[in-house]
Amino acid sequence: MSEMIAVSDLKKHFMLHRHRPGFIGAIRNLITRERRVIRAVDGVSFTIEQGEFVGYLGPNGAGKSTTIKMLTGLLVPTSGGLQVNGRVPWRERQKHVREIGAVFGQRTTLWWDLPVIDSLELLMHIYHIPADRFRQNLQEFRGLLELDPFLSTPVRALSLGERMRADLCAALLHDPTLIFLDEPTIGLDVVAKERIRQFIRHINIHHGTTILLTTHDISDVEKLCNRVMIIDRGHLLYDGALEKLHERFGGKRQLIVDFGETYGEVHVDGAHVTERVGTRVTYHFERGTVTASELIGRLSNRFRIRDLEVREPDIEDTIRRIYEEQLLARE
Amino acid sequence: MRSAFLTYFRLIAADVRAQLGYPVSFLFETTGAGLILSMFFISLALVFQRFESIAGWTLGEVAFLYGLIEMAFGAMDMIFSGFDPQFFGGNVRRGGFDKLLLRPQGLTLQVLGSSFVIRRLGRIFQGIVIFVIALSMVELSWTPVKILYLPIVFISLICFFGGLFIMGSTITFWTVESIEAINILTYGGSEMMSYPMHIYQDWMRRFFTFIVPAIFLNYYPALYFLDKPALQDLPSIAPFLSPIAGFGILFLALRFWRFGIRHYQSTGT
Repeated sequence: MSEMIAVSDLKKHFMLHRHRPGFIGAIRNLITRERRVIRAVDGVSFTIEQGEFVGYLGPNGAGKSTTIKMLTGLLVPTSGGLQVNGRVPWRERQKHVREIGAVFGQRTTLWWDLPVIDSLELLMHIYHIPADRFRQNLQEFRGLLELDPFLSTPVRALSLGERMRADLCAALLHDPTLIFLDEPTIGLDVVAKERIRQFIRHINIHHGTTILLTTHDISDVEKLCNRVMIIDRGHLLYDGALEKLHERFGGKRQLIVDFGETYGEVHVDGAHVTERVGTRVTYHFERGTVTASELIGRLSNRFRIRDLEVREPDIEDTIRRIYEEQLLARE
Repeated sequence: MRSAFLTYFRLIAADVRAQLGYPVSFLFETTGAGLILSMFFISLALVFQRFESIAGWTLGEVAFLYGLIEMAFGAMDMIFSGFDPQFFGGNVRRGGFDKLLLRPQGLTLQVLGSSFVIRRLGRIFQGIVIFVIALSMVELSWTPVKILYLPIVFISLICFFGGLFIMGSTITFWTVESIEAINILTYGGSEMMSYPMHIYQDWMRRFFTFIVPAIFLNYYPALYFLDKPALQDLPSIAPFLSPIAGFGILFLALRFWRFGIRHYQSTGT
């Protein structure tokens, strides 16, 4: 495996001019301009190997899209090292973009008033895709994405899900080695989301395409990514496997027990009761201090249990706590 | 190079196809644009009916200049549609420029290929009609040099107006609120250039000579084509400087455009 993306101490600072309101303010603006520096990305380092599927998470304004813009060559960094495919993106823009693909859920790269197939053929010429390669890829993608029913429909008449599928196809026709997916499932229903996830997974596995996915939908990340990076206020808070998040941030596991009869005192060592409704009791316990089977053993010695369920900590919950408490920043 | 041109023509063909998807709107807008400008010219003709000549220029002579500028501006407005500051500024705000940056083609080529507004044919056609009327009204003594030089002036005018469009679009990288001001420069500029420049005040003529060298593209060449006596007060080279003014402005505009792109890539929007 070789390095696809290498980022070291990457920074992007914007100079923001504050406009004072009102007439007097406008005149004062002319004389002295109040400046503020926005550190959108402030010293981020990571590497991504070829073939990896990485989720990039962060709240709005965390620096996600600024990072993506630098990686795709749209923005020039303020400082720091940045190489994609061994190139500095903005320095060799055309060569760089020839080898990457990008899908932005909020807007399309297709021609609004043209049938989908016309847009795809234009892209063939723009990217100089050999005709047989184009045919092969189109054949594969139209099957997987079920494009046939709307290939000759103008893009403006497509549903959001259809447009998304068409855009995914468009971003992959030139065999990019790396693709950036920004909110590819935003606004889609469950079925459409699942179809798109399956396709993305297929591309990652069968084409070996490296994928960097930014999303608000944690289930996208849970289902697809083997690695996740979390950014907030320009700093990388976490970089690693999704499951490890809980170990590090102490997400509480849950044991929900349905007792055979109503007991007075149901306390058990190693866990504490957080909820009690009729015969159903919810315990919270911490990974590492006690296992689920130990707890179940202790409980079944004393009580009659009708049913039980172990729940893993909620990822979304954990991530929200990371943002709120800036857990890693304090480390 | 050849493949770049091919890509450009494919992009334009796609945009034209998209416009023809709305045939009624195309028809109305084309004829509408032509009609408005014709009305304007007709009202000018009515003024001339009373005064016969204005500042030594007959209706035919003014029509010659007016038609020439209309044709050139219309052609530019079509070819440089992608650089129309109004269109380009909106495009930048909607992230359309990022889309172009993500494609492996030159940016100037892509912007030119992003729009080719065929309803401008209305204005071009109207310009041709006025120009032909002018030729029938004026006794023009054609020489081989004049026949050769006319297309050069025409192309220089397209370059000049195109340069103004490119500069205007580049400014929208910094601020989109300035579009109105930019429009005054481009549309207002073409309007002013439709009339013989000696009717304007001195400071204005100086502005159009030394700051924006428009006078070399309309007034001086027109004096030459029409054999106006005012030509004798000028250096004999003056009417022939249109290519330098036209291509010069376009060249400067493209330099500014490069600079604007670099600014955009360091600040985003």
